Amino acid sequence: MEIFYRPIAIILELIILMAIISSLFAGMQFALLDLGLDQKYKKFIERALVIMGCLALVFFIAHLITFYPRLSLF
Amino acid sequence: MDNLNRIFWAGQEVYVMKVFMPIIMGFLVLLVGLIALFALSFWWQHYRVWRLGKDEDRSGQLAARLKSLFAVTFVHARFWTELYPGTMHFLIFWGMVFIFLGKIVRLFSYSVGLTNPPQTIFLSASLVSEIGGLLVLIGGCLAIVRRYMIRPSRLVTRPDRTLIFVWGFALLMTGYMIKGFRIGAAGVTVSPDWPSWAPVSYLISRFILILPTDPLNELLVWHRVLIHVLPASILLAYVIISHSPLQHLFLSPINIFFRSFKPKSVLPPLPNIEEAETFGVREISEFTWKQLLDLEACTNCGRCQDVCPAHLTGKPLSPRRMTQNLKEHLWREGPKLLATPPDQRQPEALMERTVGEDELWACTTCMACEEVCPIYIEQIIRNIDLRRYLVLMETKFPPGLKLTIKNLMNSQNPWGMGRGLRADWTKSLRGGILSKGTDKGILFWVGCAGSFDDRNIEVAISLVSILKSIGVPFWILGTEEGCCGDPARRTGNEYLFQNLAQANIEILQKYGVKQIITLCPHCFHTLKNEYPQFGGKFQVFHYTQFLADLLSSGKLKLTKPINKIITYHDSCYLGRANQIYEAPRKILRSIPGLKLIEMERHGKRSFCCGAGGGRMWLEEHIGTRINQMRTAQVIQTKAALIGTACPYCLTMLVDGIKEKGQEGIMSAFDLCELVEQSL
Repeated sequence: MEIFYRPIAIILELIILMAIISSLFAGMQFALLDLGLDQKYKKFIERALVIMGCLALVFFIAHLITFYPRLSLF
Repeated sequence: MDNLNRIFWAGQEVYVMKVFMPIIMGFLVLLVGLIALFALSFWWQHYRVWRLGKDEDRSGQLAARLKSLFAVTFVHARFWTELYPGTMHFLIFWGMVFIFLGKIVRLFSYSVGLTNPPQTIFLSASLVSEIGGLLVLIGGCLAIVRRYMIRPSRLVTRPDRTLIFVWGFALLMTGYMIKGFRIGAAGVTVSPDWPSWAPVSYLISRFILILPTDPLNELLVWHRVLIHVLPASILLAYVIISHSPLQHLFLSPINIFFRSFKPKSVLPPLPNIEEAETFGVREISEFTWKQLLDLEACTNCGRCQDVCPAHLTGKPLSPRRMTQNLKEHLWREGPKLLATPPDQRQPEALMERTVGEDELWACTTCMACEEVCPIYIEQIIRNIDLRRYLVLMETKFPPGLKLTIKNLMNSQNPWGMGRGLRADWTKSLRGGILSKGTDKGILFWVGCAGSFDDRNIEVAISLVSILKSIGVPFWILGTEEGCCGDPARRTGNEYLFQNLAQANIEILQKYGVKQIITLCPHCFHTLKNEYPQFGGKFQVFHYTQFLADLLSSGKLKLTKPINKIITYHDSCYLGRANQIYEAPRKILRSIPGLKLIEMERHGKRSFCCGAGGGRMWLEEHIGTRINQMRTAQVIQTKAALIGTACPYCLTMLVDGIKEKGQEGIMSAFDLCELVEQSL
């Protein structure tokens, strides 16, 4: 596979990883609210999770750019 | 097997022992934990809350219950009335089943030596999972298009619904990616025919970049399996502990299993009405456990809303919204009630804060909502229970109903006409009506409309004429007949209904009545299905059944043609309540020259005339009139005649024709009248 496809593959991996992360965080938030956490904490939790999501995104971008291979066996 | 393959599968064995086995063991431990969490959560979140409700016997008929469960769950029997959502859900459901089956076989295949090299059953399981994933993807795409692009008004999209789509898509793709990576790492020449057994993963493998060394590839396998298995387990945990919409996976089958097998709209009596201190439902724990299960099981699909005549004509009632509001009330109040000792509970009232009075009284009890609900939620009984509380405990009902109730109490008919006048309609009959007694034939239960309403008296006279002409012996109770009680029961006045019913049953038993023929579907439904609750067991026919039998046996012959186009309006209490659709149509098809064309909403999907549920006696102040909407549907058929077999429907359609300015263009007739014309 040519080097041209590397950014596309990284972006696709990033999309899937961020989908997983956002699902996990959103699920955590809904579960907490369902279990009786007061609605007044909802905004705080949302902001905390958004910050954590952004940190995860930065980590994934750095990680994928650094470690995704430049060579292919094909 | 060639050397390259041997080396490959030996390497795979290493991967399996060092990578997959630990993952599988960890997952199995997690699975045990998830099952324990599920059991605990089911008891804590659901079972305890249902037990707040009153007892209700839903045991028995195990075979029928299992048959319903399998038919709806696996064949999606009630989903196909709407092709698009039915197809979408069918694909998603069977896709998930295939994925699960494939994974289970592959999970345990290593221990029975099916993987190195992969045997046909292992490869087949792989293919089944791949196909399952594809089905889920296609179904999921249909669902996303419908929810986010087509956006039907009945679908309410909340963030937790969107979450399910995102999560599901991510899990599916990571599953395919694991397999795709293994295929990519192995190379096509090494393993036999990957494309045949794993077509989707093979396609993905063409786009996956492989690391330069085996240890790095092994690390990548760990990484990809973890980002698939861990989120999958956490999704399961989320579904278990939260109020996720995916809980319908187990709540819906439970609701289907415990469904009612009685005819729709057969209302249970209030037990011990003389000694009871409360009537109806004021607060959430006064529902039965099954009614509370109904609330939890509702998937918010909105099919009921789309067929509700009240909702479609702008009334505040939406069956979907009412159920969802009651569900949220249950989630809010249920834990509070459970945390409080029974003698200290102060539960919140349902009326006004959760259910509005206009919303409640807008229901015509037409049962369209129950007919389309895929999981057999019972709305009518719940609405009547709320009405019973309002009427019997708070004496609150719409102003128009006050006079009707007073008339029923004083004169045993909703018109308030003197009881002694009940048989006056017979005075115009030639030959009168035979005197009373079962030796005089079948009892003709005329009903209040046939006795007092001018238009429906003509219908009663027509039926008498038909019975006399074919020599069927019959008799009437005359002034001893009282209202069957339907208006009282459907408006929540159970006490008045029981008084009326018991009085009628005494009279019927006094004469030793065995067989009854009725003019009105409401009388038919009440006498046949509800009088047995009070010991009144009779063989009851609606006249359409009776005449259809006579036509089949050749005793009734219709010879005079009526060369017109007719459309037939199915009465709710004849059709949906008692499944009588064919008998009236048989009668119409037997009339020479008469051409029957069906409205779009006919049969099980028939649209209410607006008079049921006591609304015959109430004015419609909100939105447009239901009978006008139905008349508009009739007009679309361009039929000259509209036929019906119900006095309420006839009244509403006659009014609708006038209101729509269609007098002279079309006419409404009862089927009796058409049969009489054709004799």
